Amino acid sequence: MSHLAVADKKRAAAMAPAASIRQEIVSLSQITKSFGPTLANAEIDLAVSAGEIIGLVGGNGAGKSTLMRILCGTMRPTLGSISFAGQTLSFADYDTAEAQGRGIRMVHQELSLCANLSVAENFFLETPQDATSRPGWRKLYLGRARAALDAVFPGNGIDVDADVGQLSIAERQMVEIARAAATPGVRLIVLDEPTSSLDLDRSRQLRAFIRERAKAGLAFIFISHKLQEIIDIAAQVVVLRNGRTAWRGDVADTSFSKLVQLMGGDANSIHQHGAIVASTGGALVRLSGSLTSELGRDIEIARGEIVGLAGLEGSGQKELLHAIFKPNPAKDAAVTRTGEAGFIAGDRQKEGVFPLWSVLGNISIGSLARRPSLGLVSDRHNREAAADAAGRLRLDENRFGSNILELSGGNQQKALVARALVADTPIILLDDPTRGVDIATKQDFYRLCNDIARGGRTLVWHTTEDAELLACDRVLIFAGGRIVKELTGEAITEAAIVGASFVQQADKRIDAAQAKAGAAGLVRRLVNAAPFIGLAAVLAVMISANPAVASIFGLDLLLMPALSLVLVTAAQMFIVGGSEIDLGVGAFAGLISVLSATLLYDRPWLGALAVLAAVAVYAGLGGLIQARKIPAIVVTLGASFIWVGLGYALQPTPGGASPEWLTALFGWSLDFLPTSIILIAAVALVVLTIDRLPLGVVLRGFGNNPTAMIRSGWSPTRYALVRYLIAGLFAAAAGLSLTAINTASDINSGNSFTLLSVAAVVMGGCSLLGGIVSPVGAIAGAVTLSLIGALLGTLNVSSDFNAATQGLILIALLTLRGLTADRRSEQ
Amino acid sequence: MNALSAFTVWAQKNRWIWAAIGVLLLWLVLSVVTNRFSLSSLSGIVLSASFLTVVGIGQMFVVTTGRGNIDLSVASVITLSAFVALLTIKGQDANLAIGVTAAVLLGLAVGLLNSLLVVGLGIPAIIATLATGYVLATATLLSNKAIPGFAVSPALKDLATGRISGVPIMAIIAILGVAAASFVLRYTVFGQLLSAVGQNRAAARLAAISNGRVIAAAFIISSVLASLDGLLLGAYIGGAFLEMGQPYLLQSIAAVVLGGTLIFGGSATALGTLWASILLILIVTTMQIIGLPPGAQDIVQGIVVIFVLALAGRQALARPTTAEPADGATPKTRAKAAASLPE
Repeated sequence: MSHLAVADKKRAAAMAPAASIRQEIVSLSQITKSFGPTLANAEIDLAVSAGEIIGLVGGNGAGKSTLMRILCGTMRPTLGSISFAGQTLSFADYDTAEAQGRGIRMVHQELSLCANLSVAENFFLETPQDATSRPGWRKLYLGRARAALDAVFPGNGIDVDADVGQLSIAERQMVEIARAAATPGVRLIVLDEPTSSLDLDRSRQLRAFIRERAKAGLAFIFISHKLQEIIDIAAQVVVLRNGRTAWRGDVADTSFSKLVQLMGGDANSIHQHGAIVASTGGALVRLSGSLTSELGRDIEIARGEIVGLAGLEGSGQKELLHAIFKPNPAKDAAVTRTGEAGFIAGDRQKEGVFPLWSVLGNISIGSLARRPSLGLVSDRHNREAAADAAGRLRLDENRFGSNILELSGGNQQKALVARALVADTPIILLDDPTRGVDIATKQDFYRLCNDIARGGRTLVWHTTEDAELLACDRVLIFAGGRIVKELTGEAITEAAIVGASFVQQADKRIDAAQAKAGAAGLVRRLVNAAPFIGLAAVLAVMISANPAVASIFGLDLLLMPALSLVLVTAAQMFIVGGSEIDLGVGAFAGLISVLSATLLYDRPWLGALAVLAAVAVYAGLGGLIQARKIPAIVVTLGASFIWVGLGYALQPTPGGASPEWLTALFGWSLDFLPTSIILIAAVALVVLTIDRLPLGVVLRGFGNNPTAMIRSGWSPTRYALVRYLIAGLFAAAAGLSLTAINTASDINSGNSFTLLSVAAVVMGGCSLLGGIVSPVGAIAGAVTLSLIGALLGTLNVSSDFNAATQGLILIALLTLRGLTADRRSEQ
Repeated sequence: MNALSAFTVWAQKNRWIWAAIGVLLLWLVLSVVTNRFSLSSLSGIVLSASFLTVVGIGQMFVVTTGRGNIDLSVASVITLSAFVALLTIKGQDANLAIGVTAAVLLGLAVGLLNSLLVVGLGIPAIIATLATGYVLATATLLSNKAIPGFAVSPALKDLATGRISGVPIMAIIAILGVAAASFVLRYTVFGQLLSAVGQNRAAARLAAISNGRVIAAAFIISSVLASLDGLLLGAYIGGAFLEMGQPYLLQSIAAVVLGGTLIFGGSATALGTLWASILLILIVTTMQIIGLPPGAQDIVQGIVVIFVLALAGRQALARPTTAEPADGATPKTRAKAAASLPE
């Protein structure tokens, strides 16, 4: 090790003059970052010059992410300094926005796009300064997105007007990369595992693009676990190990095995699993039907086998794993298994660990699920069982008491394997288990898999690293959702796997998916039209019962009371767009109504001030919810008590009077159209306009993917305030309309609106998950729901049934929507 | 200093202690200031708190299933159950068995309906239970018209209001309930599964846990407890009235959160729910003694809930995290939590 360090210094000294010729973009020096006793980064120097391509490699926990977070301004170091073109900057003044202002962009491994927005709108989020609030502002970004995508990935065929949610993972990654590359003024792009979901062609296009842009002076930092790529693309390589720079040098001076060695791994990669174990006790898993139709025969997986699943990302490998884990008789008739199956997830944070528990808790849960619910749990028994598994995994038993998140990624993965071992299932399914795990742990892992298989269990292993498949007895290659080739023993080579993966065209799957989407789309469109159909039906029934309803006066009488609910619904829609629900919005409208009929009537200035103050408090509540990350439902439920309490304190019994100007505001009339319809249409227009403005796009972006929004430099708290301010204004307008229409106020007059507004919003086609809103539908829904009371009256049904009818309508609608929902959006 | 840090570590695992300290402090202050507080007045407060504790424990199970799950139908269940008790028992001890059976059946039915909507149809719990509550409201209006009178069975009345050597029987019931719930959470497979489901649903599913069953069980526990609570509460107040369960909606959620159960799910403490229930009733009682108008009482309760949540939100953010998050994909959940951290 020491001779390497010396060589490093010599090299650095030799290179210094060469580097200074080029213009330096950014330089980090002596960066140290400690988390408690752990040093994530220790005295790291990193300078990037224009046109440089730096490959950054290192095992898990080597400090790459921390260093990049510091570089991009999302984290502050404990010690060290940053300078731009020789000018030192204080980290106190350095944040994401500053980094972006200085031309540093990062493409994250986990994608940072808003799936509910179009590709072009996602481009807007990154460079909002060029947008105007005039109609047609999207055109600029449509063109920009098209050009950017074609520059990096020629022939990509991505529709820039399509929602990102409609794109495949690879296409999203392409959009993300193109977006960063097209940012005006960008000087350094950090790419974190950019090729993890790209196929070979796209990966080549990307590398060609990087080389070309580097010539023009753009700098890149390329992070990848695929060392071959690093060697191919980078001019300079930086190796991190345990938070320190282990090596920095020219790519020509290194090699695959040397890099592995520097990172602390074993250069002899994967060893073959040896001879196929003779089948003992018959097949555990049988694959048949459409899945194997290309092969023309069924596939049986026997005890003691390691079976790899390969193919291009998303060709059906994951689906097969899940089908084996939990066969769905309707869908997966092609998969049958005898014997229980355990699952080891590669996406540890999302699908693996239980973050509140210790390592021991995380291991023992494996054996609990199959026991009777009222069985007793014993710590001692758990510890014994886990110790056995941990011993085989070389996982230190002394760490059983630590919280699982205190372990490195590799050790967390060992705990998950231990979980599968204590579950003691004959079949173990692995979903890309070595993702983000360092090389040393990987080697342990391969050995362990061998041992487990020899012990008589079956392993079905999905991996995205083709080299890993060499450890398998058999490899099934997927294309378009089907198994297209089976390789065994000696025939398993990387070349054979890659070859077979690309043979099949993926068209079939797309056709099938589109056919399915077509049928579901029709039903969905029907459900989406429900508010309009419902409204028409209700009106038809009422007009047939009493033709006078169809007159201008009749419609006004019927629809004027709907106006308040329409306004509350507009308020609720903005909250729901942010994936929250306000259970106090009706009470808030009631409070404003009380304020306007008492204070505003008696002392207009004080009253106006009180109304404004109430709206400000309401908006502040939104800020609080965001800043403290607390559930909006409970906060707004608590707030509803405050609103009602204030209302009672101001006006213990219904009464008051509507100010004249307020009555006039809602009381004018035209001869040819009912006032109510004009007002409702006006509300719809205002809501629609806000939604189509850049502001509306930002709000919807936050509803879908707040993390991505923050990465693009948007402030979550500010937009939570804005969202609640808009909602508060609509709710206040609803309160005023209540006073004007009733010519008096009652604090309880708005209470029923809360549930109804949620129902209307959902009925109109907005997603409770946030980000998807449909203003016109929601308003049609609100009008329909407010007519239910009058409809029941027309039909001579007791008003006792009002609540139940509305509750049942809500349940029915959500049921319908749930049944026709896009499966993807459930994630 | 050492003792203090040892206490901090201990308190992190026993979050109920904060509510207990709150009760002790408030009671001490009230005793000194008003001269009217004694052990016997405390036992009165504990009696009122017992009704809240029972429904709070049910709410706690639902909250622990995670994803912001809350049972908003408990208030309607309490009210309807009190009316059903009047309808079935008719003030006769002989009908008590029928009444209890009816209450349990009502709880089971509502719990099953909620589970069907939440688990079966995938409707968010808040909306589903709110909608169920509205349907129950109509049922309550109808039974209000059908009840024969406000007579309460004497045996039930004794149970709800009686004391054994000064200790309210209801308090003993509540404490036994808390003990049972604590045992279930800590020492049974179900308790562990519940915590797992609340922490990470995808991971729980892949650990072969049937999430749906665990969540359904939580909703059923909540409804059955609320229903039994309504039966006893009706006997305690000597009848039933519309909206009688309403205060328990916000208070039960407040008791759960105040007690130290994580609002994001995965970790529950029954003991904390008990102490927090006492604390809340103590606060309400104090307001009544001071003579605050009902409107002001509403305001104070709302503020307490928001304030406690704002503090609890911080607690959730302070969850242990890795020194160096894995190089692999950042979890969406943690990313969301991290997103709220100031830049």
